[in-house]
Parts: sequence; structure tokens; C-alpha cells
Amino acid sequence: MQNDIARSKEAQQAQTVRVKPRWHMTVLHIVYYLIMIAFLVFYMLPFWGTVMTSFKTNSEVMTTTPIMPPRQWTLEGYASAMEELGQPLMTSLLVTLFGAAGSVFLGSICAYGLSKWKFRFNNVFFIALVAATYLPFQAILIPLLQTINALDLYDNVWGLVLVHTVFGMPMCTVMMRGYYADVPDALIRQAMIDGNGVWQIYRKIVVPNTKIATITVFVFQCTSIWNEMLFALVLGGYDSKPATIALNELAGTMAAEFNVQMAGSLILALPVLVLYIFMGKYLISGQMSGAVTAS
Amino acid sequence: MASIQIKDMSVSYNKGKSYVLDKLNLDIKDGEFCVFLGPSGCGKSTAMHCIAGLLHPASGEIRFGDTVMTRAGAKGRDKIFVPPQERNIAMVFQEYALYPNMTVRENMSFALKTKKAPKDEIEKRVSYMAQMLSIEQLLDRRPAELSGGQRQRVALGRALVRDPQVFLLDEPLGNLDAKLRDQVRYELKKIQLQLGITTIYVTHDQTEAMTMADHIVLMKDGHIMQQGTPNELYDHPENEFVAGFLGTPQINIFSCEVRDDVLDAGDFRLRIPQELRASLAPYAGKRVDLGIRPSDFELASSQENAIAAHVDSIEPLGDAYLIYVRIGEKVVVFKYTGEHAPQDRELLLTANMKKLHLFDPQTQERINQ
Repeated sequence: MQNDIARSKEAQQAQTVRVKPRWHMTVLHIVYYLIMIAFLVFYMLPFWGTVMTSFKTNSEVMTTTPIMPPRQWTLEGYASAMEELGQPLMTSLLVTLFGAAGSVFLGSICAYGLSKWKFRFNNVFFIALVAATYLPFQAILIPLLQTINALDLYDNVWGLVLVHTVFGMPMCTVMMRGYYADVPDALIRQAMIDGNGVWQIYRKIVVPNTKIATITVFVFQCTSIWNEMLFALVLGGYDSKPATIALNELAGTMAAEFNVQMAGSLILALPVLVLYIFMGKYLISGQMSGAVTAS
Repeated sequence: MASIQIKDMSVSYNKGKSYVLDKLNLDIKDGEFCVFLGPSGCGKSTAMHCIAGLLHPASGEIRFGDTVMTRAGAKGRDKIFVPPQERNIAMVFQEYALYPNMTVRENMSFALKTKKAPKDEIEKRVSYMAQMLSIEQLLDRRPAELSGGQRQRVALGRALVRDPQVFLLDEPLGNLDAKLRDQVRYELKKIQLQLGITTIYVTHDQTEAMTMADHIVLMKDGHIMQQGTPNELYDHPENEFVAGFLGTPQINIFSCEVRDDVLDAGDFRLRIPQELRASLAPYAGKRVDLGIRPSDFELASSQENAIAAHVDSIEPLGDAYLIYVRIGEKVVVFKYTGEHAPQDRELLLTANMKKLHLFDPQTQERINQ
């Protein structure tokens, strides 16, 4: 009996004993953290400088270093930036929302067809779509411009929407095909037996069960269209100038007005930041499930 | 309700290089409970998927009553294929396939809503079926909140609520534990009898087949090995595969030589009964396979036709004992229904001579009728 008690005490002690890290491990940890802090400072310092500069007056920008907090906080820079960026932001918003919605919708339909229905050349279509995602946009810029001109959509918001819808579709298809492969085939067969056709199954079963996938791909698409410059520069004229181009013009037209430029940059970055902060958990879980399916 | 006729149906997954189902012919009567039984890969699920319209056969014809649902392999205008959604069938999959985005109520009413049935009618049918399957309290839950047994009931309810002309069940009890399986098996058979829907049930479990079926279709490698009532298959297996597949524990097979009036297995000899002599006449001097079911052995009361056996191990089943005995070098199972297991290690067994199964070793076909 006493032996048992002694043994159980030993067991308890064994459980609570902490392994003391060796001295060189501690040093290694300190070095790791120092490197990480250095990287943090390296990445965050420009952002910090941007935020600080955006709240300064133009004269203060000239006299202080960018990372110093403003002596007098002002929204002057934001007001000036909004004057220049107001209309382009609306254009960007329109292009982003419709472009992303269009490409996600088309990509979703393609992905549904490719992942859930067998037809001749199924794989050929898929390989062609994957290849399309690697296509450098610069390579097709001139014929694209000619096509858009021919369609009378140059300097037109809907021209940009069309281009983003078409060029975003392959990537959306590739991403969504992975998610749709997760929908069990038995569900599709069951829905068929329950009297549903191909489109009803898509609408009532596949889409409602892959909401997170749709959100993930939509956010991904929104981010890339919002930040896009090449199509915007070539296809958007004066009237349908998106915010990325307008911001670039701020640098050119208002020499040395850094507070306005920084405020403009932050205004442009804000929607994407907000999207990532609120949708972060969906994005991570969505990307993970896609990854598992792909493997 | 409908009868089902399958004529010369063949299915190939590799454009005719090999066939998963080869010229299948089958008649299932209206209201019958038919079980497709067989080992994995025998083509039973494939046959069911063809009946459901989920697979296109390479050739052959499937009829529900007088209506042709599938006619394949025929040239030109004769080719017919009614899509699954127009066949008025209900199906339960092994994985249940409940729609995760819908509640139990929505799952059960989904097919009726698709058919645009009146709201009152849908509600009436769903609550009737929920009551019948004791799942009323689950109607507002989602599939993720249900246990395996509950999901299984919901899947059954969803299928039955539609009042289909054919009811297809693809190993629906495969994911349930043994106790629940017995319970659901009983309920399923009861409901089928009550509703009288023509039912096809796919399983590899011979107990399920024996207990539920009106008609068993035993398959192997895409061919029907035998079909008939459970008793026909059990008592008169047409070949050694059928004899071996049905019955737990498996039938004991002995290779015997037919000599004069005896079957000589080497380690024992049995006098050939009068009724078997005509069937065995062509095999005089040749070998045959003798099958004796474990339940057809008993302890011998005399030396005549007795088989000397040495007890290896005894497994109590509660109401009986499974006794593994050694006859010569061969291990044989014997089901003993006495109250106490025999104490002796050396036993004398006798076989029920009316229930001997004799097979041709080459063709594996049954010899005695």
C-alpha cells in the first residue's frame, strides 16, 4: 500500500517536472525574436510613416521626418485626396464588385461542370483554363485593346468589368473546382433522384453548400481587381479612371504633397484591409479546404 | 408501384474491353422486396445504379411495368433513356447523402417541393412519415446534429415520403452498429410490407438478405449465380459459390470419391442414400464435392455413417455452441444446439443425409436435385 502511494507521488512529480531549457536554446530564442522584431520594424516602418505623414500638414511634411508623429493632427491630406480620388474610387468600386461577381459566377459554373459532370474533353478544358491563369496579360494587351475599341467599350466602366470578368474567370474556376470536388457525389446523385436537373442541383445543392468557398474566391478576386493597374491604365480613359491610376497621378501632378499621396494610399488600402480583417477566418478555412482537396 | 424487368443488360467501364455486368436478365414482381447480394465488386451496386438511371448500360433494356426506362445498344430511334429525375424512384445511399444545408424537414420535403406538390400535402406526408419513423422531434435539426441511426432514419423517411414506384436501397445499414442494424432492418421490412413498394436492396450481408428478402439475386463477377426465395437459395444452392456464400458459419466442403455405394472422403465414409444414387451414377469412380452445413451435423447415436472428429475449440453462442472439430487434417464447424457442450474431446458425428449438397468439382454445379 505504502509502495503504491510512493509510486503515485513519484508519478505526480514526474508529471510536474519542468524541463529546464539549456543555455544555448535560450540564446537561440533571443536571436530568433530579435530577427523577427527586426523584420517587423522593417515591414511596419513604411506603413507607420505613411499613416503619420497622412495626418500632417504639407509644411510639416517638409520639416519633419516621415516617422515622427505630427505636432498638429489634421485631415487636410484626406480631404485633398478625396477631391481627386472620389470619382475614381466609385469607378474602382463598380469595376471590382461587378468584375468579381461576374468572374466568380462564371468560374463557379465552369467549376461545377468540370468537377461534377463527366463529358468529353473535360480534362482538356481544365488544362486550358489552368494555362490561362499563367498567361501574362502584357502579351495580349494590344489585341485586347483593339477588341475593346471594336466593342466601343474603351474608357467605359463596363469595358473594364468585362475584361476583369473574363480574365478572372480561369483563376476562379481553378479555385472553385477544388472546393466543389469536396461536395460528395452521393449528394448530386440524390438530388437527381429527388427530381432535380443539372441547374437545379447547382442552385439548390452545390452553391448553398459551398458558401465559404464562394466568399473566399470573391474576396480574392475583389482584392486583385481593386489593386489592378495594367488594364486600368490601358483600357480606362479619363472618364473611367480607377483609383489606382488616380493615385498614381497624384504623385505626378502634386509634386511633394506627400501628405495627400499618403492619405490617398491609405484610402485605397482601407477596403482591402477591412475585407481581410472581417473575412480573415473564412479566407483561411476556405484556402485550407481547397488545399486539402487539391492534394 | 411497378414491376421491373431487366433484359440482357451489360455494363462496361472501359468501352467494352471487360464487362462489370454481363447480359443480366431479371424479373422483379410488383411489390416485391428483392435483395441484390454478393461480394464486393460483383456488380450489384452497378445494377442498381442502372435501374436508377445514374449509369448508362452498354446494352440491354430496363422496364418499369410497361414503360421502357433504358434501352441501350439499339441503333437509331430505339435508343431510350429516361433521366433519374423522371423515373419516380427513391433511393437511399450508404452514406445517406442528406443535404447539409437543410433541416430534416426540408430534406424530407425537398423532392415533393421539386415536384411542386401542394404545401398542405407536403406537410401531411412529412409528419406522417416522421411519426412512422419516430423522428418528429428531429424535424428542425440539421443533419450534422444527428447520430448515425437518426440520419439513417431521415434518409429512409426522405425516400418514403415521396410515394415512389420503386424504392432503391444501396447498403443503407452499412454504417450502423449491430444492434441498431437489427432494429432498423425489422422496421424497414415492416414499412415495406405496409406500403407495398417494389424494393431493391443491395447488400453484401447475407443475414440481411435472408431476413428481409422475398427474392434474393446472388451475384458474382457480373453474373447472377442464383436467384429465388431465401429458402430456395439456402436449401438448394445451384453451385458451390452459392452454398458457400449463404449460411453462417460457412458450409463445410469435403472432396469425396464415389465408390460403389459410398462417398469416400478418406477420413470418413458415408453410405449413399437411395435418393442420391441416380444423381451420382455418372460420377462412379470420380470425385465430387460434398457440402454439409454446420447445422446439419449432430452427435451420432450409432456407428452407421458416423464420422470420427477431434474437438479443437468450442465457441458458446448462448443458444447453441459452435464446435470446431478436426476430421483427419480438415477443420470442420459443427453447430450443436444441446444445452451443455460435449465434454469429450473425441466425438462421433453424423450428417443429416437428407440435406447433403453434392457439387461437380470441375463445373462447381449442383449434382443432386
